[in-house]
Amino acid sequence: MKNYKMAWRNLWRNKRRTIITASSVFFAVFFALVMRSLQLGTYDSMYKNVIESYSGYIQVQDEEFWENKIVDNIFKNTEELQGKITEVSNVEDVIPRFESFALASSGPCSKGVLVMGIDPQKEKLLSDVEDRLVKYRLTDEAIRAIKSEDIPDYLARNMDLFEGNSYSSDGRLQIELGIKERDAETLMPLIEKYASIENGYFSMGDNAALVGDRLSRFLGLERGDTIILVGQAYHGYTAAGKYVIEGIVTIPNPDIDNKIVYLPVDVCQNLYYADGMLTSMVVHLRDNSDDAIDNTLEHLDSNLESPYRVLGWKEMNKTLVQQLDADNKSGIIMIGILYLVIAFGVFGTVLMMTAERRREFGVLIAIGMQKTKMAGVMVYEMFYIGLLGILAGAVVALPSIIYGYHHPIHFPSKFAKIWEEYGFEPVMAFQWIDKYFLSQSLVVAIIVLVAVIYPVVKIRKLREVNALKA
Amino acid sequence: MKKKLLAALLLTFSCLVIKAQDATEIIKRANDKINGEESSYSIMQMTIIRPEWDRTLEFKNWTKGTDYALTLITSPARDKGQSFLKRGTEMWSWNPTISRLIKLPPSMMSQGWMGSDYTNDDILKESSVVEDYIHEITGEDEIEGRLCYRIKMTAKEEAAVIWGHQVRWIDKDDYLFLKAELYDEDGYLVRTELGKNIRTMDGRLIPTMLEVIPEDEEGYKTVVEIEEIEFNIPVEDGFFSQQNLKRVR
Repeated sequence: MKNYKMAWRNLWRNKRRTIITASSVFFAVFFALVMRSLQLGTYDSMYKNVIESYSGYIQVQDEEFWENKIVDNIFKNTEELQGKITEVSNVEDVIPRFESFALASSGPCSKGVLVMGIDPQKEKLLSDVEDRLVKYRLTDEAIRAIKSEDIPDYLARNMDLFEGNSYSSDGRLQIELGIKERDAETLMPLIEKYASIENGYFSMGDNAALVGDRLSRFLGLERGDTIILVGQAYHGYTAAGKYVIEGIVTIPNPDIDNKIVYLPVDVCQNLYYADGMLTSMVVHLRDNSDDAIDNTLEHLDSNLESPYRVLGWKEMNKTLVQQLDADNKSGIIMIGILYLVIAFGVFGTVLMMTAERRREFGVLIAIGMQKTKMAGVMVYEMFYIGLLGILAGAVVALPSIIYGYHHPIHFPSKFAKIWEEYGFEPVMAFQWIDKYFLSQSLVVAIIVLVAVIYPVVKIRKLREVNALKA
Repeated sequence: MKKKLLAALLLTFSCLVIKAQDATEIIKRANDKINGEESSYSIMQMTIIRPEWDRTLEFKNWTKGTDYALTLITSPARDKGQSFLKRGTEMWSWNPTISRLIKLPPSMMSQGWMGSDYTNDDILKESSVVEDYIHEITGEDEIEGRLCYRIKMTAKEEAAVIWGHQVRWIDKDDYLFLKAELYDEDGYLVRTELGKNIRTMDGRLIPTMLEVIPEDEEGYKTVVEIEEIEFNIPVEDGFFSQQNLKRVR
């Protein structure tokens, strides 16, 4: 009989043993996959958060600007330049930006702020500022009014926890306040009634500003108030202007939320005495995959010469990349520990199996079976078990990961705040099925193959006489 | 014996005091000469020179004693009408485009005024070269054919100044600031100032052009030229008020 056939029959001769061994492999694969998916997905969502709300994947700037972000290091926004950028096939559009610093004042309070001139329509391709306009704000009064209605206890508790927070979407509010789906229908109208606030957007040329939520609270400004910006303009001129606040926006990253003021880009250029000039152009891509980004970067680099500089998102977010890199290393160590536990688990089961079957091996060899053939059968058996475990693990992990990908885990209310203070969105996301699926399965397969060495060696050293007595 | 020793000691001591007073006296005379003993009014032009561009500002300046100063920008059009006021230790700025009075925090004193290498402190003279430093004559040098005292000025500990120490060269005959080197707290040279174009204005011989050259920036320079100056003009304390800051022409 062929080895593989014999191995297959052997497996089902003792189902329980097979299932126990296979399930140790199964758990190994399952946990490794879910854990890795969660790690990678969380990094990804952090990157996306920063990239899509702020830096974009690729920017074109004056070559001096990145090192020295002063308003003198800017460039003229010409048709020629735009043409050179858009002729690269992966480029869909260019989004103009004018970024600078200023002192913002509301009268009694002032604070250093980041002024960002944006194209109100084009910016929607990237960081949809209009979408971030605050819809609800949990002010002290709003909370009191909502509490006076008939509401479940958990909502009252959670509202206290998030007092003062603002939300730009119903979904975010429901998640953070933990509003259960069955309650949403009765509770949302209440929240809408007491906590919703009006906001508007701006278009090019409007003498209007959008202000970050935390900043607006610090300055004590609301929609319709005037914000004053003072700073240094191009070539040392004075930048000074008054703008009507048209809307309050909430940015997930608290660092940015604390200091951002948006102006229409032409108004911003006027403030800085730099008509037609930009600090950066965000290049909007059709394909955001890593390879496509690298390709486009190379292309743009060869298209644009000094005084322009092309920057990729990794270069622009060095701290974040390093931070997450370090975190990734510790994640890999965690997975390493998981593998170690798994390896010993698998090895333990194999060890027991070998000991259990010692007498069987002895009998088979005594009646004339070759040791090599027996070892071969053993290898096949382990191979089947491994395959079974890995396949089962992957098959079970798949739906969990797909579900997790569509329903990211939001941190429970208490932790969310801490996480936000670090500048991250309090979400644990799953990574879509990718290379890691293969690599994790492969590692487990290797563990199984290493474990098979033990029974093979054992069989080679087996002395029939002793084995028969076992 | 003891008495003799005491006398000798006293003598050397008094010599030292006299010498120190000398240095302070020299600085005071030079300072009064350029700023006026009582008050002054001047029209100046400032050119900011950068490797890629330069621009010119014009402004008027009133001072009275060490407590009051008012500066009004008259050109170019975009900056015209901005004014700066110093009263005692408080500094204010008025900007007509936003019609707002802004109090300048002390931390902004060391920042460049209107984008130049000249700091807010230089223009408003918040610190005093006479009162905030300990002066010491360290030698003599010749600068542009004129014999000068070399005076080292170390900042007094309690003084709110942005320099650690300065070395100034002052013309022996006419008490003119001809050169200054300004060092930070760690003793690094931050910038050099040169007094040039010595001319008689309102009856005084003064350097009418000041060049400010920062040390670590290649090709950076700011030149301040005095176009008109009057010393000891009659001016009321009330002239240096927030109301007048908005009105002054």
